[in-house]
Order: sequence, then structure tokens, then C-alpha cells
Amino acid sequence: MRKKFLVLILLGGVGFAVGCGGGSSTPSGVPGGSGSGGSGGASANVLAIAVDGGPTATQPGGFIVPNAAFASATVCAPGSTSNCVTIDHLLVDTGSSGLRVFESEVSSLNLPTVNASNGSAAYDCVSFADGSFLWGPVQNATVTLAGETASNTPIQVISSSTANIPTSCSNNNLTEFQNTQSSLEANGILGVGLEPSDCGLACDPSEEPVEVSPPAPAYYTCSSLPCTPQFVTVANQVTNPVVKFSTDNNGTIFELPAVSGSAATVTGSLIFGIGTETNNQYPSSNTLFTLVCDNFTTNFEGNSYAPTVNTANLCTGGGSFIDSGSNGLFFPNVPNFPICPGGLSDFYCPASLTNLSATNVDPNGTGATKVTSFSVDNAQNLYTNANTDGDAALATLGGLNPPGFGFDWGLPFYYGVNVYTAIDGQTVSTPSGLPSPPWWAY
Amino acid sequence: MKTLLENSLPFTSWLIVGIGWLGLSSPALAALGGDVTSVAADQAHMKASIEVKQSEGYEVHALQAPGGTVVSEYVSPSGRVFAVAWHGPFFPELHQILGSYFQQYSAALQAEKKPHGHRPLNLEQPGLVVQTGGHMRAYFGRAYIPEMLPPGLKVEEIK
Repeated sequence: MRKKFLVLILLGGVGFAVGCGGGSSTPSGVPGGSGSGGSGGASANVLAIAVDGGPTATQPGGFIVPNAAFASATVCAPGSTSNCVTIDHLLVDTGSSGLRVFESEVSSLNLPTVNASNGSAAYDCVSFADGSFLWGPVQNATVTLAGETASNTPIQVISSSTANIPTSCSNNNLTEFQNTQSSLEANGILGVGLEPSDCGLACDPSEEPVEVSPPAPAYYTCSSLPCTPQFVTVANQVTNPVVKFSTDNNGTIFELPAVSGSAATVTGSLIFGIGTETNNQYPSSNTLFTLVCDNFTTNFEGNSYAPTVNTANLCTGGGSFIDSGSNGLFFPNVPNFPICPGGLSDFYCPASLTNLSATNVDPNGTGATKVTSFSVDNAQNLYTNANTDGDAALATLGGLNPPGFGFDWGLPFYYGVNVYTAIDGQTVSTPSGLPSPPWWAY
Repeated sequence: MKTLLENSLPFTSWLIVGIGWLGLSSPALAALGGDVTSVAADQAHMKASIEVKQSEGYEVHALQAPGGTVVSEYVSPSGRVFAVAWHGPFFPELHQILGSYFQQYSAALQAEKKPHGHRPLNLEQPGLVVQTGGHMRAYFGRAYIPEMLPPGLKVEEIK
């Protein structure tokens, strides 16, 4: 006999969203921010970022997204300097690659389509860590961030309609399609991670002799329905805008000030380029972590979480990563914290603030190692207080990363730590002697 | 306590290695909670190669899909899939590998208001735990039926 499962229905009560639609139509050109480094004034390679609670935080009835950094971008039709829109409150995400904006925000630009390798318009499907997804066509745009311009850059335009989304992307429409401001909790995603494209070689037609068919969920064409998986050349895949800049294109420096406990708003900078300008030189005080499968090792409370590969040199999981798109510090529950109840089950609810430390270690045996001290507080209290006090920065918000895997060092990791991300395939030549990207340093 | 449909099929041998597409559309029974023949259905749907490993008290059938995502299905001695785990560049099709448990997973996500922000998922329900995490190009996760875990198999080993 089939057991009836009790489904707990709880009201989270964390506020409701208002409004939809995208960014404001402000003149193109975004003022450069003054980062915590105190350079002041507008620099072409400095993008202002703000942990400000998100696009609705200051609206009546709006909601606060804690521990999310936002920035603006100007998107133009390729080759145009007038047919443009500026979109605010893009989530700055070092865990993904590529710009993703809502259809409603760019439809007036009539951006040209980008094709899959079979000559039909390419559609992209991407997933978040929690299983939700984005779907929509790949289109070509010129993207300006601060004073840097990425010309002819494939971006993802998130569809306003759920029509024709293939099952392999949407799980029969039963996982969440975050195609509105209220579901995405941003006006788009600015993916500025380690990789130059969102899929890479696995989706490139050069893999066709090796792979029987294109991987899914990834790229599709929909010239006949249902939409079917297709290969797309790396050049046509949704691209990390940083690699398309003419200079300052080898990586980024993500700078946010330290936060003690909680804070209403913090502002900082995303600086483009490493070792290419006077404001982005690589400090000797940094510890550099080379990577295995884009991850490094973390030692925590007697356990070592290392990335692994099999005998065929294929990634087999494990290890840790740094990801500004994750809104807390997520790690295995070795301290045996209580899990928060109901809808907060992703988070830890210790009785009181608990101090911890972990050691990140280079996984390739360079000997690089650095200790990170951090604290975790009761997430239920933190979210409640954040709503009443309007705090967007919660430095002690922690939760579960599935056991057996390492740390998801989310946005709180960045508070007071300047993180240098060197992009795969690019070159960091100043100072000399640094290893080839990808790597992280801080 | 039995929580699933009874399996009256005998435990048959299953060493299948290869790549092939049998042209199956959605199977009646798949993966988590299903019997071992559902593993073959998942393999066909994923167009995957398969490797089987024996352990104390269970077997692991690892399906590798084109593009590199590996789905491991943990099978009890009575031929029941009690856990699935995955890692790789692409999110697996949960409606396929969670089988009859997908409805519970989906309903639980919609029933409980989630706090704002993106992050890994930890869903703990009576009879079902689903944990997912990672980021673009590197996803991982597991789903399991807690009461069916064999003694000595720790959750962190399900991957």
C-alpha cells in the first residue's frame, strides 16, 4: 500500500513582491563607483555594486533579498550607441557566465538572433543550484559595464512566455521558471564567473564525433516543435561580457567592505582586469588557489573536501567554490546545527552565534593555504530582523551544502575580502609568474 | 514500514554496458522508488552509458549522459532504487530520476514559501530528502528515501 506523505504547508511570511518589468530607461553610461579601495571618482574599469536588498527593496510592499550584490548594465543593439537601455539591479553572479535579461527589457532593441550549429535560432536553458531555471533565445548585443564595452556579445533573453519550453528544461513546468522580477528577485543576471561561456566545449559541435547527441538541458532550436537539443559553437554561446572587453578582460576584482553582523546596505566595486591598470594590480599579500574542476579543497572540522577526477580525467564532483550568487555561507553540517523549520530548511538555526573556521587549500599541491574565520547565527532570526530593520547584508547567514561536498562560499565571504577571479583561457601577465587561469586569489 | 509499491519481479541480472537510444517516451515507472528495470529506462532516456558497482548491501548503477553528467542510482538487494545522486555540468531531469517522488518534491517546493535569495536546496520531508547545489557547469545533488538507507551507508557517500 502506498503511504500517504504528509506535506507540511507553512507560511514563510517574508513579504510579497510587487511590480514587474525591467530597468529604467536612463541615458547610457553608468557612473563608476568608488570602491572600498578609495580610488574615488569614475574609472572606466570600475563598476559600482550595491548590496541593497534588490529591485523592490525601497518600494512599498517590496521585499529584501539579503546578501545579493547588484549592478547596472547598458545594453545596445550591436553597433548602436542610441538604441540602448540601461538595466539596474542585475544580480552580480560569479558562479555563472553571461548576461541574462528579461524579454520585456530589451524587446525594443530588436536584437539579432544567434544561431545554433544547425543554422536555426539558438535557445538557452540554464539551471540554478536549487533546480529553478531560465529559458529563452540567445541574441547579440553590445553590453557596457561602467566604461568597458563588450561588443557583439551573445546574451540570453529570458522569455516572458512559457510556451514550448522543452521538458528536459522545465521538468514538465514543475520546477520554477524565474522569468519575472519577483521570481528571479532581480532584473537579470550578470554572470562574471571563471568561465568565458556558459557551456563551453561540451556544447560545441566539435564534440559531435564524441557525443552521440547534444547535452541537455543546455542549448536548443525550436524551428520545429518540440524544441530539440543542439550544439552551439563556443563563440555563439552566452558569453561572460568581461572576456569581450577590448582591455581589462582577463578577470575581475570583487570588493565589498567588511560587515559585522548585519547592515542595511553596503556598496563596493567590481573592478575589471587584473594587473592591467593602476587600480587593479595584484597584491603580494594574496593567496592564490589553482583549481581542479573550477574548485579548490577546504578542510573543515577534521574533514577534507577536495575536488575529484576519475581515471579519464573527468570531474567527479566535490570541493569548494566561491559564488557571489549564493546568498549565504553553505557548508556540510559537521557542527550538527539544527536545520531551520519549514521553508527555511536550507539554513542553519543555531541557538546563538557560533564561531567557526575552515582552511582553503590549493588542490594541486602548490602549498597555498588560507584560514577563513566566520560566524553563523540563527537564520530565522536573521531573516525576521532583516525584514523589520531593512538589512540587506547578513554576514552570519549560513546553511547546508549537501554533505560530501565542500563549501559554497557565497556573498558573505566577500565582506572585507577582495576576491580576484582570473578567467579560464585568459592571461594574467602582471606580475609575471602567476599560473594560467582559471584561479581565485584573495 | 513499506512505503512504496510492492515489487513482485524477481531480481534479474542487469549488467548493461553501452550507448543506445531505444526511442522510449516517458516510462511508466522511473528511478527513485522504482525497481531496477526503471534504471534501464533512465539510461535510455538519458542516452547514457552505464557502469555497475557492488557494495555491502547495495549496488550503484552509474549512468553517464552525453555532456558528462553522471547519475548514480542506488539499488537495494530486493531491486529497489532507494537513492539517486548526480554530479556534472548539466542539471539532470528530476521528473525522470525522482520518478513517483517528483510530485512530492515539486509540491513541497510550492507549498513552502522560500526565503529570498539563490542558494543550494535542502528539502527534508517525511520519506524523502532532496539536496541540490552547485553552479553553472558544476551541479550536484542527491535524493533518497531515509528509511531505506542500508546500515553503514552514510548520506555523504551518496554521490
